[in-house]
Amino acid sequence: MRRSPAATSASLSWFQLRMLAPLIAVASVAVGLPLVYAFYLSLTDFSLTQRGAAELVGFANYGASLTNEDLWGAIGTTFTYVIIAITLETILGLLIALSLQKQEWARDLTRAMLLAPMFITPIAVGLTFRFLLNDQLGAIPFLLDSVGLNYDFLGSGKALLTLAIIDVWQWTPFMVLLLLAGLESIPKQPLEAARVDGASAFYIFRRITFPLLIPVLSVAVLLRSLDALKVFEYVYATTRGGPGTETETIQYFTYQTGIQFFRLGEASSMAFILLLIVLPIIVFLFRRLDQRASK
Amino acid sequence: MTSRPAGVVRGIFLATALVIVLFPLVWVTLASFKTPQQLNDPSLLFFLPSLDNWRFILDGGILEAAGRSAFVAGVTVGVSAIAGSAAAYVISAYKAGGTLTRFGILAAQVLPPAVLVFPFLTIAYMTRTNDSLIPLIFAHLSFVLPVVTWFLIGFFDSVPRSLEEQARVDGFSRFKAFLLVVLPQVYPGLGAAIIFGFTLSWNDMFYGLILTPTKSAILPVAIAGFNTFRGVELGSMSAAILVAVIPVVIASFFIQKRLVQGISGGAVKY
Repeated sequence: MRRSPAATSASLSWFQLRMLAPLIAVASVAVGLPLVYAFYLSLTDFSLTQRGAAELVGFANYGASLTNEDLWGAIGTTFTYVIIAITLETILGLLIALSLQKQEWARDLTRAMLLAPMFITPIAVGLTFRFLLNDQLGAIPFLLDSVGLNYDFLGSGKALLTLAIIDVWQWTPFMVLLLLAGLESIPKQPLEAARVDGASAFYIFRRITFPLLIPVLSVAVLLRSLDALKVFEYVYATTRGGPGTETETIQYFTYQTGIQFFRLGEASSMAFILLLIVLPIIVFLFRRLDQRASK
Repeated sequence: MTSRPAGVVRGIFLATALVIVLFPLVWVTLASFKTPQQLNDPSLLFFLPSLDNWRFILDGGILEAAGRSAFVAGVTVGVSAIAGSAAAYVISAYKAGGTLTRFGILAAQVLPPAVLVFPFLTIAYMTRTNDSLIPLIFAHLSFVLPVVTWFLIGFFDSVPRSLEEQARVDGFSRFKAFLLVVLPQVYPGLGAAIIFGFTLSWNDMFYGLILTPTKSAILPVAIAGFNTFRGVELGSMSAAILVAVIPVVIASFFIQKRLVQGISGGAVKY
């Protein structure tokens, strides 16, 4: 029997299906099931302390969460944090990447050391900074004190900025990594041509390098933003949301609602509200990456 | 090429960045060798190192916690490498599953853990696996599997299709062509994906804090336990931090170059 083209393509998809099957099976249990269950939870009054079965309450949790001023406060705090951190990381990351690109001496070692923070577990970073910033035992207040300065890093009005700076310490390397790769993949000819024509270094950067870097830069900013929105460990290690509720971020607030106050239904509705907020960013990121990958 | 003053400015700038990066790490290393009295003096740089903190944490269960972390990370990344490489190959070569599959893989990587953690907790209670490593492994699979798969799609994209076609002409089945011809081409990428996936699982505290808070605490949760912040415990906390930091920082040195290609799904090459 001759195989028809249709049979060939059918066997192809059978092969594809078998290859995809392990991923689909694991992802259904690890992502699909909990996602559906989380949505179900968000529609119930489920609570860890309650005996008896949870009852469906429709969208009551969503109504409660959306009118919860503390949740909006946490969303505002998180966005302030993300904007401060990502802005600083982008500027510093770009400067460091540009410097590293031209640096020859101990090149690989310098790069490896500068990138190290992004591989450290964030709770260790948070606790290290809490230790460094401690008024009696920390090195930073000690150094400031020796020049006659006094600054309360985790005090009111300053704590959120301090948390953002911790983020900058840990994650600027991520920006550097991506931007350096972006810089090194820029074709050399236009740069050479501009230099021969006598263009200044700043002009070359502004008119050639920077525009060519924008695709990588936008991917880096989107990835970092999605990650920074999930900030939890620094808050847990240093301020626990304080002073007052100044540093209560979305992830920390949801954790408190679900784990400390046992209100899982309400916490799940908050998580879905967060998901709705980040979904457009994810779609935007996907379009950037997928377009470029299929080129 | 560049002028001298620009080079000097660049050198000073990079040196400053290096000092800022290394200072906290050096500080923690010093603290891990200090006695409680010596910890009271932040300016103390030269002192007779004491191994008390290290002895204390090694007796105090940090190694067991590190073992549990390594076990969870190992199982998670093992499953991810097998399921991920098979799927990534057909996604790259045949666009299998279409746009929706690729979007799902990206979205799962960046999904806020607050969405999935409460179902994992309630399912763990229902199946009486709470405070065990089983729900934690599934929780870690929820982000390590998509990351590893995403990495590998990018690496498979850079393997020429002609290799597989030649293997088919030589009489290999589709699966054998994948396993024996195409997969070896991405071994370096697979290695990078495995190390990165391991690091992601090893570094996660959020799921561990909620799913294994006490008797099966993994390393980041055990470290967070030092958060009581009595002066006496700062030295041991520093030693515990180093136990968590040193292995992954060393491993990261080997994968930094491939990381960009992986993270961007092949969109940016280094």
